[in-house]
Amino acid sequence: MLLLALDTSTEVTSVALARVEGDSLELLGGQSVDAPRAALSRVLPMAASLLAQAGLSACDLDGVVVGRGPGSFTGVRIGVASAKGLAHGLGVPLWGVGTLDAIAQGFADDDVTLAVVGDAMRGEVYPALFTCGGGRVQRLTPDLVAKPDVAVRRFAQHGGRLLLVGNGLKKYAPVFADGLGDAATLADESRQAPSPGGLILAWVAARDADELGDGDPGAVLPVYTRLSDAEEAERDRAGLPRLESPDSGVAGSDVAQDGTSEVEAG
Amino acid sequence: MIRFTLATTSEGATQSVGGALGALALPGDVVLLSGDLGAGKTQLTKGIAAALGVIEPVTSPTFNILRVHEGRLPLHHFDLYRLERASELEDLDYWGTLEADGISVVEWGDRFAEAMPDECVSVTIAILSDEGRSLELDGRGARGESLVGAWAAACEGLLGVSVSAERGV
Repeated sequence: MLLLALDTSTEVTSVALARVEGDSLELLGGQSVDAPRAALSRVLPMAASLLAQAGLSACDLDGVVVGRGPGSFTGVRIGVASAKGLAHGLGVPLWGVGTLDAIAQGFADDDVTLAVVGDAMRGEVYPALFTCGGGRVQRLTPDLVAKPDVAVRRFAQHGGRLLLVGNGLKKYAPVFADGLGDAATLADESRQAPSPGGLILAWVAARDADELGDGDPGAVLPVYTRLSDAEEAERDRAGLPRLESPDSGVAGSDVAQDGTSEVEAG
Repeated sequence: MIRFTLATTSEGATQSVGGALGALALPGDVVLLSGDLGAGKTQLTKGIAAALGVIEPVTSPTFNILRVHEGRLPLHHFDLYRLERASELEDLDYWGTLEADGISVVEWGDRFAEAMPDECVSVTIAILSDEGRSLELDGRGARGESLVGAWAAACEGLLGVSVSAERGV
């Protein structure tokens, strides 16, 4: 089947075009460009040019894959909304993959414990641990948002050597280097965003784990991991407990998809 | 927190205070401006923009909400007056913009508590007379405190500007 995958959750906009049949995967085209706060103007033209270069049109697509975060709040919304529009318009399935999972897929052959540190802005990060090696990636921790020092403690508790990657390291690399010492190595900065191949591999991994869902574009939700300030303030005022899963911002979706998002209290 | 109070005697003096800040600002610096309509928030921003080498005219982005000017560094000029809820800040990519490689000036920055980052300078402008203004400068966080100190020092001796300091507010 012919898949178009896109991710705009970080400053890097990534688009991939691939043919996947069972165990065979052919990447027909892929592009990642540094486009801080310019994803909206870049993502669909990039998709169109990949299709044109492959001599294909959007009507040939059998499905769309989107990185649903966590990342920049605005970037995640641009990616998910663009992908939903495409899938709805074409009448094809839409599948979501984790943005941090797609980053981790870039390390599938590295044989490491990977600590992804996404930039959550406002002094926080999205930390997630994966074991990578032998072409496989296994997620060890759920998506959450945390202060960098809390993330360092969680990583240290896991123990062992860690390879660190993610755009959160642009601001907080010293915090992680000081906190983890010799146990941590920094990966090359060029690997901090989902690559086109990583997005497709994340879809294949989700398919193999039977976690793709039914492909209904309406059911694919962004991963925000944190309530908006207004929602938190309203809940506090009303004396309600902090939510385990944040509102996805999608109508009629009080429960976050398959429990992959959770909020770090406090 | 360190607080400085400046008194300016004209629009031009308020602009030159802005110019002193524009010369010191680094990527990621955030300046929140509050004060009544006509207090001089935009005059101060014009001075900051001029010092950054912005050539185009700078006006208050009341309806645009955000306008970006290219200079030595990009100047992100926000006006939050027309926002109704803090959640609308996410719609603007407010925090993403503040943490990008430019300087942000936020008019009506006191409108939402969430709009104030941990590190920033906040300026409250009050009207003293037709031309006279007082500017209260507060530094927040390590960068905010060091920037506000350097800014006040750079304003010493500017024509039509007087500076006084108060510590441990």
